[in-house]
Amino acid sequence: MRARDWRVLALAAAYLYLPILVLSLFAFSDDAVIAFPITGLTLRWFGALAGNAAFLDGFATSMTIAIPVGAISALGGLAAALALRGATLRPRAAWWAAPFAALLLAPFLTPRTVLAVAQSMALSELGLRRGMAVLGAAQVLVILPFTTALLTAALLRVDPRLEEAGRDLGAGPWACFQRVTLPLVRGPLMAACSAGMILSLADVTLATFLAGRAQPLSVVVASEFMREMRPDLNAMQVVVLSVTALAVALAALWRRRR
Amino acid sequence: MKARREASAPPVALFAALCGLAPLVAMAVVSVARIEGYTLALALDLRAWREVAASPVMRGLIGQAVFYGAILACLTPLAAYPIALALARTPMAWKWLGAVVLLTPLYTGEIVRIYAWRLMLGAQGLINAALGWAGLIEAPVQALLYTRLSALIVMFYNTLPFMVLAIWAAVEAFDRRLAEAARDLGASPWVVFRRVTLPLTRVGLFAGMGVVFALGAGDALTPALMGGANGATAMSMIESLFGAAFDWPLASALGLALMLTLAGCVAALTLLAGRARRSARRSARRRGKI
Repeated sequence: MRARDWRVLALAAAYLYLPILVLSLFAFSDDAVIAFPITGLTLRWFGALAGNAAFLDGFATSMTIAIPVGAISALGGLAAALALRGATLRPRAAWWAAPFAALLLAPFLTPRTVLAVAQSMALSELGLRRGMAVLGAAQVLVILPFTTALLTAALLRVDPRLEEAGRDLGAGPWACFQRVTLPLVRGPLMAACSAGMILSLADVTLATFLAGRAQPLSVVVASEFMREMRPDLNAMQVVVLSVTALAVALAALWRRRR
Repeated sequence: MKARREASAPPVALFAALCGLAPLVAMAVVSVARIEGYTLALALDLRAWREVAASPVMRGLIGQAVFYGAILACLTPLAAYPIALALARTPMAWKWLGAVVLLTPLYTGEIVRIYAWRLMLGAQGLINAALGWAGLIEAPVQALLYTRLSALIVMFYNTLPFMVLAIWAAVEAFDRRLAEAARDLGASPWVVFRRVTLPLTRVGLFAGMGVVFALGAGDALTPALMGGANGATAMSMIESLFGAAFDWPLASALGLALMLTLAGCVAALTLLAGRARRSARRSARRRGKI
């Protein structure tokens, strides 16, 4: 680790966080016009949020979708990761691993709009209605590659001899999974759950097409934001960012603690 | 026991096929359907595909998507390599912090990021304020907001972490003593990078380029919100054909044409990566013989 490396990393961190810092700064700016220089500081934009029904409804809708989406994409990612680790342990019998990974990755690489339009068409041909459940399924689909990658990395660090020892001591496959493997990846599993939740909160494109009458916060903000920039929208973004940061920090802690 | 361990794959695969693959197949069926009044009739009508092929606007939009993706895939490695190499040299105890710092901006919503960049690039934004304060400019630079450039700036920001992650994983996987040995044998840092580090991390680089290309080409939101008058994309056209114009066959044909073009580009990149790897191995073998 050289001094130059620290400089590169400091520069990268500054680049990644400067826009977010500027955004947060303006949420506390007293001036209704968003411009430099900032004349005074205030908390009133946050107060205004508490009386904004569209914001509160959107937040509730977002959380109603995000929590199950986080849990399901973590469990689905665990299932996929277990299979993929099985494949790396016995590469000869694993002809299916590459097509399986491609099938998981494809929706993430498909342009979101194309995927959402295709899903909308399929739904209407089947006569199904749009709404939270459909949106949740679509979000799980694009979040699965993230959680699968995270959990595969975690599972590859688990020593397979521990599971073999469990088997030798007479545990069935389910007991072995539940009492040996699962406790070893509990931290990463929680991390995947919160990553899935955050990515669900962040989604706009799928929600625009599939949410139906339920409008998540991201869609509410996007439609307001098309028109103008307002200090109370800044404050709203800061609230969303704080929730995100909290979840990321918890995930990092869980991941390290295992 | 063999079967049991992999039993968790089929349900996930079934879900992905049902929610991801099946709608795209439905889209292909719609693309050759015929519009009769307000309903679609099953047919084998290539009208929509012909229209996509004949329309300079649609071909131009698909080309623009490829252009955005290609530019990002070529530019992000320039910034990602120094970051990934520095991260790989970080002491073990600090690496998780590096990962968190890198990943957090990924988790902020697209809307938050675009919003933040509007505050950076606007006429009264941070960059213009700083330049004006330094006395470098008289009037705010207007070209920074609502142009193709501003869309590219934000897309670069959005895709950089993916490129860093891909290269970082590759750098961690290769034996860095090889680079140190090259240094000890008198190679300059640039030669070490070009002859040792780059060939050995090529897999990560190509994987990152594929992901960044797909994300850049498929991003509709950033051009729409940052690009101003130049904000139209193939995706926004699909959306309006699907919604307002109610021409589902045309929307489907355009969407599939876009996807096929992008998949073709990624396939070409993969082929290129495979050939580069093979030729590197061949030349290494030849050198070894001599």
